[in-house]
Amino acid sequence: MLRFTVERLIGMVVTMALVSLMVFIIMEIPPGDYADRYAFRKYSGTGISVTAADVQAIRVDLGLDRPMLIRYFDWIGGIVLRGDFGQAFAFETSVNKVIGDKVWLTSGILFATLILTYLISIPIGIYAAVRRGSAVDYGLTVFSYLGLALPNFLLALVMLYFANRWFGSDIGGLFSAPYRDAPWSLPRVWDMLKHLWLPAVVLAWSAVAYQIQTVRATMSDELNKLSVTAARARGVPEGRLLLKYPARLAINPIVSTIGFDVNRIFSELPIVAVVLGLTELGQLLLRAYLDLDMNVAGAILLILTFAIVFMNFLSDILLAWLDPRIKLGA
Amino acid sequence: MSRLLSVENLTISFRTDEGTITPVQDVTFAVDKGRTLGLVGESGSGKSVSTKALMRLLPRTASLGADTKMHYTAKDGQVMRIETLSDRSREIRALRGGEMGMIFQEPMASFSPVYTIGNQIIEAIRLHRPMSKREARAFAIDMLDKVGISNAGARIDQYAHELSGGMRQRAMIAVALSAGPALLIADEPTTALDVTIQAQVLDLMRDLQRELGMGMIFITHDLGVIAQVADDVAVMYLGSIVERGPARDVIRAPKHPYTQGLLAALPSLDTLSKRLTPIPGEIPSPNARPSGCPFHTRCAQKIAGLCDRKIPREVVPEPGRAVRCWLYDENGRAVA
Amino acid sequence: MTDLPEPGKPTHITAETRQAEKDRQRRLKFYSASQWTLIWWRFRRHRAAMVAAVILATMALAGIFAEFVAPYGTTTRNTGYIEGPPQVPQFCDDNGCSIRPFVHGNKTERDPITLRAISVPDPDIRHYVSLFVPGETVKVLGIFETDRHLIGLADPELKIHFWGTDDLGRDVFSRTIYATRTSLSIGVLGVMISFVLALIIGGVAGYAGGFLDNAIQRVTEVVRVIPIIPLYMGLAAAMPKEWSTTQVYFAMTLILGLFGWPTLARRIRSQLLSIRNEDYVVAARLAGARPGRIIGQHMLPSFTSFIIVDLVISFPYMILSETALSFVGLGLRPPSVSWGVLLQQAQSVRAIEQTPWLFIPAGFVVLAVLAFTVIGDGLRDAADPYSEAK
Repeated sequence: MLRFTVERLIGMVVTMALVSLMVFIIMEIPPGDYADRYAFRKYSGTGISVTAADVQAIRVDLGLDRPMLIRYFDWIGGIVLRGDFGQAFAFETSVNKVIGDKVWLTSGILFATLILTYLISIPIGIYAAVRRGSAVDYGLTVFSYLGLALPNFLLALVMLYFANRWFGSDIGGLFSAPYRDAPWSLPRVWDMLKHLWLPAVVLAWSAVAYQIQTVRATMSDELNKLSVTAARARGVPEGRLLLKYPARLAINPIVSTIGFDVNRIFSELPIVAVVLGLTELGQLLLRAYLDLDMNVAGAILLILTFAIVFMNFLSDILLAWLDPRIKLGA
Repeated sequence: MSRLLSVENLTISFRTDEGTITPVQDVTFAVDKGRTLGLVGESGSGKSVSTKALMRLLPRTASLGADTKMHYTAKDGQVMRIETLSDRSREIRALRGGEMGMIFQEPMASFSPVYTIGNQIIEAIRLHRPMSKREARAFAIDMLDKVGISNAGARIDQYAHELSGGMRQRAMIAVALSAGPALLIADEPTTALDVTIQAQVLDLMRDLQRELGMGMIFITHDLGVIAQVADDVAVMYLGSIVERGPARDVIRAPKHPYTQGLLAALPSLDTLSKRLTPIPGEIPSPNARPSGCPFHTRCAQKIAGLCDRKIPREVVPEPGRAVRCWLYDENGRAVA
Repeated sequence: MTDLPEPGKPTHITAETRQAEKDRQRRLKFYSASQWTLIWWRFRRHRAAMVAAVILATMALAGIFAEFVAPYGTTTRNTGYIEGPPQVPQFCDDNGCSIRPFVHGNKTERDPITLRAISVPDPDIRHYVSLFVPGETVKVLGIFETDRHLIGLADPELKIHFWGTDDLGRDVFSRTIYATRTSLSIGVLGVMISFVLALIIGGVAGYAGGFLDNAIQRVTEVVRVIPIIPLYMGLAAAMPKEWSTTQVYFAMTLILGLFGWPTLARRIRSQLLSIRNEDYVVAARLAGARPGRIIGQHMLPSFTSFIIVDLVISFPYMILSETALSFVGLGLRPPSVSWGVLLQQAQSVRAIEQTPWLFIPAGFVVLAVLAFTVIGDGLRDAADPYSEAK
């Protein structure tokens, strides 16, 4: 197990290194660079005309004239060694300040969504497999199709509409007005929790649709396994039998896809954030993209992706712990 | 000799998309205490399904015939009518494992891959014997030792995929026997094993059966194995028993053309130079069951107009034996 | 003693033997049918998938002939009917019934509270709906010039809006038809690009194995691990603002295609790797078949059907991604119309309350995604040679 963990740990670090390079390349793609945008922003409207030489001076000043690889190491070195993500030009402050506590808000949304997803999909998937062909099973299949087909922003809009009608207008966003810019406090956390369910439901929707099908399929497979018949043949009571044998194995694919679920949630986050008026990383990412503030965008993309890579690592370890066959094969 | 199990008119049907199929029809057999009944037949003849019915392990799409009777005399002397038990009753749970133990063809697949074999043996023990965890574990190690697994104290904490094929099947036997069943059902337990291991496992099963005084139903497609382990034999073809009787007599002088065909297809040392004679054709599928005698499509001695029209009745050619074939008259004498 | 008729004697044909012969022919046809015929037979029996296929084909046809199907252009405005609700053709009203469907005309009134000029239906005016009506001159398929449109009002001076109008008075029905073309075609092009990339990348990895395979696997893993919509957004944000709608359109297909390959490439690679060691491929190799023959005859047929299934089910991701990107303003931009662009106008709860018809394009998104998913499932069932014995 130790060797397995170390191997996966190394794999995780390698992937993170490659991811960071990829993110850096994406940051470099938009035409023009930080110096151009900085100069444009600083001097536009002031009447001062900016020459190419001025821009070049800023560029040299910021070290942007160096080769890309060096700038990459500069950037990633700052992040890894000092936790410094650089300057956010559109916000005229450091990226760290812009991101601030949004990381925690985002993790709040993420974990609320994950927990909701698994709480719903595992029991229902198991139930559907045991009751194969029943009306409930059929209904769930239809729901799954719809869950995968409904664009999340549309779902968000519809949910918001009903939430507004039933719970009053102060349901969008993550905080109600008095707490929006207040410092962290217990009432503020409570307020956030009261708002969290809506984005969690919207984001969990498609994941639930997907995972119910996964659990159902695995569970159906497992139910027909000889080991289940063998256990039944030695007199194991039905309820305990279901939980101990097939259900126990039906959870494995869920564990192995935690990373994918996180990926899907982060992927949908910016879009859902627009509709629900969330103030977290997804919304900030979208704003940064629209402003072409690539330092902020890159930092967020990196944080989100690192989180996914880390969750992948966790799921590998968890899976190896759950399924003794994996260590043997690894 | 006291009767352990008697099965009468066992009929099993399955609902499928293409309608109802009946893979087992009017099967009658019995097992006595301490004796072994061999069930022989090709795959698809209904052997496994019949024994699954004994433990009520059939899927929900299966149903039993109206006049099916399965009477079992439990260890405490009570007669259980298996066909009337509900799937979730306490009786059926006591029967499964406690009264009847089952061994399957695939020892690897019989074990759950995520629990140690010890976990699964201890589970069986504690379900049927009033033992603490620690006592059950000691008992399980004894059991593993008994089925010939060396270093049982360490093996108990291993997973099925860490054992060899023969060891796995020994472990499976340990699981089946650990709850102390009076009847052991072995569903082709040696088919998936190497030939040399097969002989060891067969020996082990026979020894254990004698030692524990169990009755046994041994399913196989190999008449050679029957000669080694069984006292009585029932030959199945397409869901019916075509011939039954003491194993020695049936093998020495088979009455039914199908049994004769099976024997002719069996290699033996003194016929090494001769070609084997296979039974022509294939076993039909249960949803395309031929009319009349189910074997008439492959039978070299069929009587046209009779065998393909009427289902033969069971006749008694000599005491203790029975055959279902139109080649024998009411009194069991061969029709010339 | 035999069942066979003696030669020479006329065979007595009964209904039974005729039925048996029919069955035999049917079986013969079944066993000798090609893989694709079998798949088609099984697919045809999948009713939901057939319905989905018809829906999709209708959408595709409407998109291809958008100029003809849509009564008006994407930018044609009806200033007399702004944010107007859908007009449903009817056969009867208070003034009696008619064989030809009609809609009521509009008259302008003052809102009693705001005193703004609003248009309300005038039950006394009937405009009749007809097929093949004259209207704006358009080029269908870019070749045929015509002023006829599939459906509209007989009087070219008047306009009908089946699905209402937006805040500029543009016809939602017409715009949705044009958007269908854009969105579906972006999906097709995106899937094609990612398919070619997947074929090359997965093929190389699965065929070469070893170091190259490892390297490609690593890159694939990295691409898969980055959340896809934020990645697309990053690339889309990089598109210069001054690009023309055509440039943006092709850039979008490229972006979607460029990162759609990892799943498919992995599938191709693993299929190749597993098939490479199948007994029948080894047997072909031992029998001296050349590599080309092994690949063409033995390896490809065993998984092309699965690849097709994967292609079909990757459409929804393309369509949903395009819609999402355009929805937040990072994809196609007006005056282009796609489902996502149209839905940009429906971003708020206010829109649901006041102009719910602006959500009609969302129905198209759902329908298209559902159709592709159901067809994919149907194909998957049909392509599995073990799904049934007969």
